Amino acid sequence: MSIRLGFYVCHCGINIAGKVRVEEVAAFARKLKNVVIARDYKFMCSDPGQEMIEKDIKELNLNRVVVASCSPRLHEKTFQGACRRAGLNPYFFQMASVREQVSWVTKDEDEATRKAKTLVAAAINRVNYHESLYDREAVVHPDIMVVGAGITGMQAALDIGNGGHKVYLVEKSTTIGGHMLQFDKTFPTLDCAACIGTPKMVEVAQNPNIELLSYSEVKEVSGFIGNYTVTIRRKPRYVTEGLCTGCGECANVCPVSVPSEWDEGLINRAAIYRSFPQAVPITFCIDKKDRAPCAIACPAGINVQGYVQFISQGKYLEAIRLIMERLPLPGVLGRVCPHPCESQCRRLEVDEAIAIRDLKRFAADHVNLKELDPPEIEERAEKVAVVGSGPSGLTVAYYLRLKGYQVTIFEALDVLGGMLRVGIPDFRLPQKVLDQEIDYILRLGVKTRTGVRFGSGLTFNDLKKEGFSAVFLGIGAHDSLDMHIPGEKDTQGVMDAVRFLREVNLGDKTCPGSRVVVIGGGNVAIDAARVAKRLGAREATVVYRRSEQEMPAYPEEVKGAKEEDIRFSFLTAPVKIIEKAGKVDGFECIRTELGPPDASGRRRPVPVAGSEFVIPCDAVIPAIGQKIHASWANREPDLKWSPRNTLKITPRTMQTSIPYVFAGGDAVTGPATVIEAVAAGHKAVEAIHRYINGEDLDLYAKQLEAREQPGRDWQKIPDELFREYRACQQHLDVKISATSFDEVELGFSESEAQREARRCLNCGLCCECMECVRVCEAKAIDHSMKEEVVEVKVGSIIIATGYDTMDPTPMKQFGYGKYPNVFTALEFERLSNATGPTGGEILIRDKNLKFTRIPKSVAILHCIGSRDVNYHKYCSRVCCMYALKYAHLIHEKLGHDAQVFNFYIDMRCFGKGYEEFYERCQKEGTNFIRGKVAEITDQAIRAEEQGKLIAIAEDTLLGRNIRLPVDMVILCNAIQARSNAQEVGRIFGVNQGADGFFLEEHPKLGPLNTATDGVFIAGVCQGPKDIPDSVCQASGAAVKALALATLGKVDIAPIVSWIDPDICAGCQTCIGLCPYSAIEYNARMGISVVNEALCKGCGSCAGFCPSGAAQVKHFNQKQIFAELEGIIDSLNSVGI
Amino acid sequence: MGDFEPTIIAFVCNWCTYTAADLAGTSRLGYPSNVRLIRVMCTGMVDPKYVIKAFLEGADAVLVSGCHPGDCHYINGNYKARRRIKLLKEILPQFGFDDERLRLTWIGASDGIQFADTIREMVTQIKNLGPNEAKAKMVI
Repeated sequence: MSIRLGFYVCHCGINIAGKVRVEEVAAFARKLKNVVIARDYKFMCSDPGQEMIEKDIKELNLNRVVVASCSPRLHEKTFQGACRRAGLNPYFFQMASVREQVSWVTKDEDEATRKAKTLVAAAINRVNYHESLYDREAVVHPDIMVVGAGITGMQAALDIGNGGHKVYLVEKSTTIGGHMLQFDKTFPTLDCAACIGTPKMVEVAQNPNIELLSYSEVKEVSGFIGNYTVTIRRKPRYVTEGLCTGCGECANVCPVSVPSEWDEGLINRAAIYRSFPQAVPITFCIDKKDRAPCAIACPAGINVQGYVQFISQGKYLEAIRLIMERLPLPGVLGRVCPHPCESQCRRLEVDEAIAIRDLKRFAADHVNLKELDPPEIEERAEKVAVVGSGPSGLTVAYYLRLKGYQVTIFEALDVLGGMLRVGIPDFRLPQKVLDQEIDYILRLGVKTRTGVRFGSGLTFNDLKKEGFSAVFLGIGAHDSLDMHIPGEKDTQGVMDAVRFLREVNLGDKTCPGSRVVVIGGGNVAIDAARVAKRLGAREATVVYRRSEQEMPAYPEEVKGAKEEDIRFSFLTAPVKIIEKAGKVDGFECIRTELGPPDASGRRRPVPVAGSEFVIPCDAVIPAIGQKIHASWANREPDLKWSPRNTLKITPRTMQTSIPYVFAGGDAVTGPATVIEAVAAGHKAVEAIHRYINGEDLDLYAKQLEAREQPGRDWQKIPDELFREYRACQQHLDVKISATSFDEVELGFSESEAQREARRCLNCGLCCECMECVRVCEAKAIDHSMKEEVVEVKVGSIIIATGYDTMDPTPMKQFGYGKYPNVFTALEFERLSNATGPTGGEILIRDKNLKFTRIPKSVAILHCIGSRDVNYHKYCSRVCCMYALKYAHLIHEKLGHDAQVFNFYIDMRCFGKGYEEFYERCQKEGTNFIRGKVAEITDQAIRAEEQGKLIAIAEDTLLGRNIRLPVDMVILCNAIQARSNAQEVGRIFGVNQGADGFFLEEHPKLGPLNTATDGVFIAGVCQGPKDIPDSVCQASGAAVKALALATLGKVDIAPIVSWIDPDICAGCQTCIGLCPYSAIEYNARMGISVVNEALCKGCGSCAGFCPSGAAQVKHFNQKQIFAELEGIIDSLNSVGI
Repeated sequence: MGDFEPTIIAFVCNWCTYTAADLAGTSRLGYPSNVRLIRVMCTGMVDPKYVIKAFLEGADAVLVSGCHPGDCHYINGNYKARRRIKLLKEILPQFGFDDERLRLTWIGASDGIQFADTIREMVTQIKNLGPNEAKAKMVI
C-alpha cells in the first residue's frame, strides 16, 4: 500500500511563526517523498487545528501524519488522539519540535527556518517506517499508598479513604503529623496547629480504609503503573501498639537522656519516648541502637551501660541487681578487674574513658547484700558438683542454682574463694567483701564441702555414685612454675609466690626475710613484693628479665609498688641462688638485652656475657608462672589434657573428654583474669543445663559459632561536649598503706560517682536496664521485638515526604550555635508551643543554656539561606508570613512593650488573608527594617549594647547602617529538600530538580505528576509552600490516584522491546542487561523472548544486540536511521 | 575555517536531556543552531551503529546525552551507554574519525542552562577541529 503522508506546521501564534517562515517550511515539505498535503495553521493543537487533521485523514486517505509544532512531550498525545478519532492508528504519527528546539532558541530567521526544515525532513522520513501499534490495557490495583503522614500525607490519605479505597499510609517517625504539629499557631488565621492538626490525626487513625504503618520506611518498589509491589521495613518500637495506654510511667524511670528531636534539641527526652502528648499512635517507642561497646567488650556480658546509668541516678540496688544477672561478685571485680570495657569506652574520643570498674565497686559498697532476699527458685531434682570455689566455680554454682539445680561445691582448702581468697592480698581485696558475696551465693541453697581435694579423696566415680548428673572442674592453677636454677629447691628462704600469698591470706603473717627478692613481672610478683614489705621486710626488689614496658603487671599495681618503695631491677635474669648454711644468702643474676621477639610477640631477653652480679638477700620468692596441680591426672585416664598441660575442652561448650564433666577458668586457659573465669563459667552453665536436658551439645556449639557479630551502630557522639576530668578514687596515704593490709583504694564519694556516671554517652541509647518493663502496668513493653518486612500491592503511590530546614551553623556571621539566644524558626515554634520545653512561655537562655528570663526585644531575620547564591537561590515562601506570626505571638505573650524588629528584603504576603495579616502586624507596632542582617555580634561598643545581641544591618530605605541591640534573634532559616531525597527518589523512580525538591512533570500544568506514571508528589517535597497549598496538592494527588483506581484500568504505551525470533541467535547477552529481568531464554527454540508485561522499553537489549534481533517498537533501527538520513539529506539540500 | 559551520547530531534521552532541551527552549536560552536532536527513550538504546552511520554520512560531531548516573529512568541504561561510548571512542580512530568528535554528557531534566552551554562549547570545539573528511575521502 502506498504511503500517503499529511504534514502540518503550526504557527503557535507568533511563537513559531515569529522566527520560522512557516509557509516556506510547508512548501518544502510538500516536495518530500510521499507527502500528499502540507498545511500551515495558527494553532494546530486547538479544535479547528485537530479537526483539520481528522478531516484530511478521512478525505485524503492519509495513513501517516507529521506535525511540526511544540515539544512532543507536550502535545504528542493530543495529536495522537486526533489520529485515533479519525480512525488512524496513533503510532503512525510523528512530531517535529520546531518551537522549543528552533524558534525559541535561534536568533537568526534564516538559520531557524533551515533548522526547522531539516527537523521536518527527519520526521517525515522516519514516519514512513512506523508500524501500527496498540496500547496494552493493564488492570489497576484498587489500593493506594501514601508515603509521609504530615498534613499533606494525612489529607491525601483521608481523601482516598473517604473515596472508598484502601490506603496504606507509611510514616517514618513514631507519630504522624509532620512539621505542622511542631508549630504553635498557623498564619494567617492564628489557628493553633494542634487544634486543626490533631482532629486530622484522629480521623486518620479511625478511618477504616486507612492502614497506618508508623515508624516504617519504604525499602523497595517494583512493578509499573497500576501494579506496584512495595516492600516496607517496619522498625521495632519494642512497645506493643494497642496495649500501650500512653501513661508515660516508663519515661519517668528511664535513666537515659538524649536531646529530643521533636523539640529541636532544646530539651531532652528519655530513651523510651513519645514525641508529644497528642501523638498518633499514642504508643511509646524505645530508641535502641546496637549494644554499647563496653557491654560487648565485657567477657561476662554484663550490661555495663545499664548499671552505669543506674548509678548516675542513685539507684545502687538496681545497679547491683543488674550486674548480678551476669556476675555474682560485683565488689570483687570492682576492685581487681582489668576492665576491658574501659578500653572500648567511646568517651575516650572526647576526654577519658568512664571509670567503670571503680563505679562498679562504688555500687557494691553501697548495697548490703545481707539485706537482699535471694529470689524464688523453682527446684529441680538433678545434682551438679562444682569442684573448686574460685570465680569460675562460684559463677557456675550461682547460676545453676538459680536454674533450680541442687549444687554442691567441693573445695580443697578450708575456706571458699579460690585465688580470690588465697591469691589476692587484702589491701587489694578485703576479706569481708569476698565473704559478703560468697555468703549471698550460699544463701541460695548452695551446699559446700570444704577440705575435700579432687584427685586425692574425691574421684569422678565417687561423684557419679553420689548421683551427680554433671561435674564442673574449676580447680585453677595453684602450682608454681620452677625457675630451674641451682639453689631453688631445699634452700631455706625460697618460697614460690603462690604458696607465699596463700599462706599469708590464710593467716600466717610471718615475715619472709628482711631483704626479699621477687622474681617475675606479673601481678603475682608485685603482690608478693608488696605483701613482703607489709610483713616487715626492709627491702623488696622485683627482678624481671625484660624491661618495664614489657611487664604484664597492671600499671596501677606497679605504680602502687613504686610508691611503697619497692625496688625494681629490669633486664635482669636469674642465674642461681647463693646459699650459706642451707639458707639464702644472695641472688646471682645476669643483665640481659632485648633481642628479637619470641612466639608471644615480646622481645626475647638475651643474657649479656660477663655481666653477672649478686643481689644480697635473705629470701627469694619466684613468681614466674603458674600451672595446674595435676598429680592426680593418671588416676583419671579418661580426662584428656592439652599439650600445655591444661584441661582440654570443646570451646564454647566447655565440655571435657568426659561428656558429663565440664571445666573452665585457669585450669583450662592457664593463669588468666577473674572476669575471663566468670565468662567461662557462664558458657559452662549453659552447656551443663542443656546437657542435663538431653540436648545435642555439638549442635549447640555450631549454633553459637553461627551467631552474628554484634553491630556497631551506636549513638552519635555530640559535637559540643564539654571536656571533663575522669573521677579518681581517693587512696590511703602511702605511709599508712605501706605497713598495713587495709584497703589502699578508698572509693568515690556519692557526688563524684554520680558525676562520673553521668559522663557516660549512652552509646546503645536504650541501656536495657528493664526499668520500663518493671513499671509498665499494661505489660506492653517487649525488648525482643524485631524488625518486620511487609510487602503490599498498590495501584499508585503518592509521595508526601515533606522537608528539612537548613542548619544555619555554617553561616558563622549569625552566631547560631555560638550565642545561646539565636534560634531557628522551628526552635521558636517549640518555645511558643504549650507542649514545648518552656510550656509555651517565650524565654531566653543564660550561659548554662537554661531558659530563665523574658526577652524585651526580638530581631527576626528573614532569608537566612534562602534567596542566597551561597546556599539556596529560591525563596522559601512561608518565612515572611511566619515572621509576622512570630511578631504577633511575641506581642501577645510578652505584652505590647516588647520590641519586635523584622529585617526583610521583600515582604511576600501573597495568599488569602495574608496582606490583611501584614497590615494587622504593622498596626500592632512591629518594626520593619528593609535590609538583610549582615552579622549578629555580642561585642558591645556602647552601654546600651552590653549583654545583648547586636544586629548589624543596612537600613536600605534610610540608606544607612544600623546597630540594633536585642535580647533574642530568630533566624528564618531556609526550607530545603530532605537530606535523603536522592535515595528516596531513586526508590520511586522520581528525580530531583536542581533545587533538590522532587521534579514534577511540568511546573505549570503537571505539578503533581512525575516522570514515573502512577507515582505522584504532593506538598513541600515538591517545593516550598504553606499549609493551604499543601492541603490543596494533597487532594489533587488523591484525585489523580483515585481516578486510576476507580477506572480500574490503564493504557500502557506499547513502546516495549521485541526480539525477532528469525534473527535471534540465542546468545542471551540481552538477558543479563535487562534491569527488569524482562527477558527469558526459551531453551526449546534457542531464542530469547521479551515478557511485554515487565518490559519498560529502555532499549538496553536493543543497543547491545549483536544481530539487531532485539529492537524497541517505535524506536527501532530502521526508524532511527530514517530520522538520521532525513536530517543529513535535507542538510545537503538546505544547508546548515 | 571561518565559514565552516559544523553539523552536530545529538542522540538524547527522552526523560532527561530532551526535557532539558525543552527547558532551554521555554527559558528562551539562545544556543547555536548547529545541533539536530534525535529523541531516544534511553541512552542505553543508542546502538554504536547510529553513531558510526552519523559520522559516515558526514556529521561533524555526535553528542550522546542522558540522565546523571544513578538517576536513569530505567535504572542503569546510562551506565551501559557509558561503557559502549568508551569502547566506541577507542575504535573510532580506526574508522578514520577523531575521537574528540564523539561526546557523552549527563544532562538532567532541570539542567536547561547546562544543555545550552554544552551545545555552545561543542560548536566552538568542533569549529576548531574542522570538518569531517568522510564525504571527501571515503568511498561508501
